[in-house]
Amino acid sequence: MSVGRFRDSGKFAPSLYFQQMKYFSFFFVLTLTVALAVAVSIPLGSIPPLAPLLDPNHGFWQNSISEDALAEDELVLDNLSAPVSVVYDQNLIPHIFAENDADLYRAQGYVTAQHRLWQMDFQTLAAAGRISEIVGPVALDLDRITRRKGLAFGAELGLKHLQENDPETLALVEAYSDGVNQYIDQLDAARLPVEYKILNYRPEAWSAYKSLLLLKYMSDMLVGDRDLEYSNLRKILGQEMLEKLFPEYPTKIDPVIEVGKVWDFQPLPVVKPDSIDYPTDELVIDLLPQPAEGAGSNNWAVAGSKTKNGNPILANDPHLGLNLPSLWYSMQLTTPEHSAKGATLPGALGIISGFNQNIAWGVTNATNDTRDWYKITFQDDSRKAYKYGNEWKASAFRIEEIKVKGEDAYLDTVVYTHYGPVVYDRTFGANRQDVNFALRWTAHMGSNEQKTFMQLNKAKNHADYNEALNYYVAPAQNFVFASKTGDVAMRIQGKFPLKWEGQGKFFMDGSDPGMEWQGFIPNEHNASTLNPERGFVSSANQHPTDSTYPYYVFDNSFEYYRNRRLNGKLSEMTGITVDDMKDLQFDDYYTLASEALPVLMNLLRDSSITDPKAKQYLDELKSWDFFADPNQKAPTLFFIWWSETHQDIWKSWKNFGAPVVTPNNYRTLELLVLEPEGPVFDLKSTASVETAQDHVKTGFNQMLKKMKAWEEGEGDYSWANYKKTTIQHLVPQFSSFSVKNVYTGGGSGILNATSGRNGASWRMIVELGDEMSAYGIYPGGQSGNPGSKYYDNFIPIWANGDYLDFNLRTTDQTEGVLFKTILKD
Amino acid sequence: MRFIFLVMMTILLVVFLNPVLPFWAIMILIAALAGLIGLKGAESFLAGGLGMGLAWLGQSLYISVGTGSPLPNRMGELMGLGSGMTLVGITAVLGFLLGGFSAMTGILFRNLLKRKPDNLYRG
Repeated sequence: MSVGRFRDSGKFAPSLYFQQMKYFSFFFVLTLTVALAVAVSIPLGSIPPLAPLLDPNHGFWQNSISEDALAEDELVLDNLSAPVSVVYDQNLIPHIFAENDADLYRAQGYVTAQHRLWQMDFQTLAAAGRISEIVGPVALDLDRITRRKGLAFGAELGLKHLQENDPETLALVEAYSDGVNQYIDQLDAARLPVEYKILNYRPEAWSAYKSLLLLKYMSDMLVGDRDLEYSNLRKILGQEMLEKLFPEYPTKIDPVIEVGKVWDFQPLPVVKPDSIDYPTDELVIDLLPQPAEGAGSNNWAVAGSKTKNGNPILANDPHLGLNLPSLWYSMQLTTPEHSAKGATLPGALGIISGFNQNIAWGVTNATNDTRDWYKITFQDDSRKAYKYGNEWKASAFRIEEIKVKGEDAYLDTVVYTHYGPVVYDRTFGANRQDVNFALRWTAHMGSNEQKTFMQLNKAKNHADYNEALNYYVAPAQNFVFASKTGDVAMRIQGKFPLKWEGQGKFFMDGSDPGMEWQGFIPNEHNASTLNPERGFVSSANQHPTDSTYPYYVFDNSFEYYRNRRLNGKLSEMTGITVDDMKDLQFDDYYTLASEALPVLMNLLRDSSITDPKAKQYLDELKSWDFFADPNQKAPTLFFIWWSETHQDIWKSWKNFGAPVVTPNNYRTLELLVLEPEGPVFDLKSTASVETAQDHVKTGFNQMLKKMKAWEEGEGDYSWANYKKTTIQHLVPQFSSFSVKNVYTGGGSGILNATSGRNGASWRMIVELGDEMSAYGIYPGGQSGNPGSKYYDNFIPIWANGDYLDFNLRTTDQTEGVLFKTILKD
Repeated sequence: MRFIFLVMMTILLVVFLNPVLPFWAIMILIAALAGLIGLKGAESFLAGGLGMGLAWLGQSLYISVGTGSPLPNRMGELMGLGSGMTLVGITAVLGFLLGGFSAMTGILFRNLLKRKPDNLYRG
């Protein structure tokens, strides 16, 4: 009706009106549409751009597709001299067959990036102190610490070292880098790892520098020091008490190199200064993050004389933080000259822990102190010069520009001395304006660890292994070795400073040249052994040697339990098979409990206990066989009782008001046995005199309290349920990408060192017969993609103490092949 | 008929071109398609929306059922949205809105180009 009326009333006006309405509605809807499109393409707060994330063709849905469904028969890889074939077995383990090293490592880079790109990229961002770039200001402190420790500085020196000394290795590292970059360059939106989609950023080009940075990241993960805490304790307790509570060589230690080893070299002289003035400042500064307790490892090799088949057997299980994607990625790397298989570190070349046709090798962390601190006295506020002897030495400045997502970049000035970076100063960590401490660390010295691994991959015998190890600086490792020809060996390799006794245990005065490291222990003087009489070599992060070793080595975190269990078992075993070695890697015997529980029981004098619950717990403890198996309940009771007792004994130390470490379990237990009435157990703050028994009782009551809360809240207190082993995604906030509450036994100080967040990150056993027979497993999967069926498929196998077949493959083998890809120029 | 035709054409567009084009390019193409087919505004909105929404629904269902991957559930949990099925729904709704507004923009653009205000003669 109304339409008619408009028709009658002339033509011009309504036409214009409609014309205007049309424009209006078009622009209105267009604006709405564009606004909607923009709103779903940009991040809103912490919500990532929705449309690219949800688009089924490019978003996270695409990451649901597993690698086997995306298999290609052929892929282009430029700069190859000959085609490379990559055979994936049913576990998605790639076996790379190349004609030469350059092709091999180019392909290793490409293939690793296919499965682990985000992880490689993220770990090197972390090592470079660049996490704030992607997650914002929450990571700023972490990035500052990383930069102040000079990881990037160390990697730069490493690159310079390669440029000047080893262009061949550098060329291979660059070939690897080219392989990674060719993968990044062809990567489309659909295949982009899901973490990039969620965090809304893109992968960055890889470089030789980043491969070196990754090895610094490992150093940082594995190396700690307690110089700050020891400095405080020295001041608070005095030297004598410190030595009593923290003996450097306690009784009955069981070192890596067998006791009685004859040191057949003339040690270099080390001059101890006549007088040593330690800085006496109160050191209330923030602690640097330390390697997690329980991060450690086991490795061993038994000689043919002790095995059933007469072949040497080698085993290695590095314990690290349990993360997804796993730190390790399995591969076989083959050229006409060699064929190596085992665990690689995504981002680094070659196999890190593995074997080839002739030898096998493995690593555990050698924790000997290689990180020391010097107090720096600056001439004035400009900090351009610092006191050194009778002169002023010029310092250098390094401006760290930390980009922060959503904010302006943060500029951090780090002063460098000839010792190294001044980590603590008025802007960082220290609560006083005049405190400056510089870090001296072997990771800041140009080195070529990459060459060690590439040479080990090709090594044919003990001499080749020794030669390969000569290039290795940090993080120091106990390198176990076995060869087909029957040799077993162990060498503790790293660049170890020459120190006078006690040097580097405490913060030192940097203005006194007498406090300098006096050089380094020559490689040929590093503790090592070949075919010892006992028929095996082993290491578990304990003391490297007994006290007869002619150089001073020290660390606060040497292991006292796994090593004794391991050596005890290996000594008594004969006719050893691979299965025996598997059992030993999965051994849940809780040595601390076996030694401490009788002492606790004795001190508790339980006859007076009437509470039925307490009686029940005591009965469970009394009938326990000391195995921390997942279904056992006693380990939980013991663990809490011991921890609470330990804590109660040293609780007054919390009032020192400065960071300190407490005596370890080993020494604490010794004191409980040797002097239960001794003054160390008396709490000075109370009027009464406490003895060991008081602390044990308090610990027991605390245990009852905690158990009550646990039983009310959780119910089941079996060991696996209590420790809740979790394999956590590298971004802890992505908790649904983690695997929680894995049902498995073991714990810190136990051969199967699987605690809540740490444990055997890779288990390998190799029997070195005519044909190598090898077994391996790690708690993760080959794929880094949380949507892939190969992301966490190894975890149940690992948790059960089972292994995958890791035998070397040849190109013509057809069984068990998932798919095969030819890489061609 | 033209309504069903626009729905079907939109679905085909998403299925065949979205794998190689980003979502915003698909939006432009849907707008063009809706402009060519020339339904009314509301009908275009519904048809474009249903087309892209159904396509995304089908694609996300196809992938999650076909692969059996835990990722949709993991993402749902991560985003605080519960299960992967919720995400299928959200993906479909997002597709519907993007497709619908694109188609409506397209048809309104077509109207601009017409000399006669042809909607004058319609009820």
